[in-house]
Amino acid sequence: MIAVLEEISVHPKPSAANRRRAFLPVDATTAQRPDHALMLAVRDGELDALGELFERHHGPLFGFLVKFTGDRAAAEDIAQTVFQRMLKYRHTYRDDGSFTAWMYHLARRCAADHFRKSSAGPRATDPLNLNDRADDAPHAADRATAHDDHALLHAALAQLDQDDREVLLLARFQELSFAEIAGLLECSVGAAKVRAHRALRTLRDIYFQLQKEPLS
Amino acid sequence: MNCQSAREIFPELLDHRTAAAAHPEARAHLANCPECQREFSALSQTLAALDAMPTPTPSPRLRKNFYAMLEEEKNSAASVQVATAREHRTRRGMFWAWILSPIAAGALLVLGFFAGARYAPVPTAPDNSAALHKEIAGLREKIDTMGQLVGYSLLQQQQRPGNDRLRGVLTSAKLESPDDAALNDLIGSLAFDTSTNVRLRALEALYPHAEKPVVRTAVLVSLPREQSPLVQVAMIDFLAAARDQDAAPTLEKISANETVDGSVREAARRALTQL
Repeated sequence: MIAVLEEISVHPKPSAANRRRAFLPVDATTAQRPDHALMLAVRDGELDALGELFERHHGPLFGFLVKFTGDRAAAEDIAQTVFQRMLKYRHTYRDDGSFTAWMYHLARRCAADHFRKSSAGPRATDPLNLNDRADDAPHAADRATAHDDHALLHAALAQLDQDDREVLLLARFQELSFAEIAGLLECSVGAAKVRAHRALRTLRDIYFQLQKEPLS
Repeated sequence: MNCQSAREIFPELLDHRTAAAAHPEARAHLANCPECQREFSALSQTLAALDAMPTPTPSPRLRKNFYAMLEEEKNSAASVQVATAREHRTRRGMFWAWILSPIAAGALLVLGFFAGARYAPVPTAPDNSAALHKEIAGLREKIDTMGQLVGYSLLQQQQRPGNDRLRGVLTSAKLESPDDAALNDLIGSLAFDTSTNVRLRALEALYPHAEKPVVRTAVLVSLPREQSPLVQVAMIDFLAAARDQDAAPTLEKISANETVDGSVREAARRALTQL
């Protein structure tokens, strides 16, 4: 029984700290200050502290945005805008705030602006795209490129509803508590958990379906 | 625990942050339910694939743009601080200017008053040069003389009838060396007598005494007041004959005055050429 449980045990998620380390510099003194203290310093005029926050968080933020938008260039632009807004609205950062939650709050707003401007998300909601397809199966051109698991997963993510994709990425990658995610999504903690799990099951269905389909 | 209840616990078991918490009933069900094992395994594999997705690395452009933006914001914040400080200083300066300006003005006024009272030079008499005094005295004497003459002449006119005045003038003219009183009579008649004939006769009587300054001055003073062109021309001829240089300005004025009779202006121009 123990063997069964070990077999089906949860794969440990790569530590966000390890992921950040790839982008981290350097300064040991500022590195010891927590995010919240750094952002409070930025709010009080020590703008250089934002540099440390950028080094800590721009990598995970960019990764989230790439998965969320499916577009590297757009993800870079949005990440740039997020840090720009941090500077612009630094006076609104609250004493009792969480920097990570605030950053993803800004990121969601910026991404929403991006989707509004581009008038369509990565989902195939454009009628022109729908006309190209006889069913929900991926386009032949898409399947031709989905020749490994990563590509399949990217394709599966792209087919997820935007809200499902968002809650799944926030819950899985960004080390946000469900209380913080619930705050971002403006729903209860229970609702946030249900939405995250439902999104995971939908992704699984799409992912396994794509795996079964022969490549053209 | 049935499958439904166990699957409700799956999110907790799949989350590494909550998986460690004991869920003995769910774990027990999972160990004995192949269907739930497949479901859990599929979800776990999906998550594993998701976690295994490579983390994309942003291009250097993102970092470069960020630090450029940060630098720009720092400069902007610094300039805003400088501008705010300058404005604060300006306002403070204006406040003190409002307060101190009236005080300073009052202080300067008081200081000026006391300084003036202490150091201002006492007014002194003008330079009493001998020449100046002499000239002033001469002028004053002339004025006094003229005033006496005028008064005397007026008195004479009022007191004497026309024929007597003409007779008096003729009498005075016959005198070879008339005294001052006689000359005063003639000058008074020239200046103030209402009769043109009397004035002309008085002027003729004064010709022999033209060398005397008082006579020339009397004629020159009487000239602008004279209304008769006939007497005016006679007076101008008198002054030209006497070579009175002091008459030149008066003659020039007459020659230039368009309202004056033409014969008078012509006489004045002629006299000026003689002078």
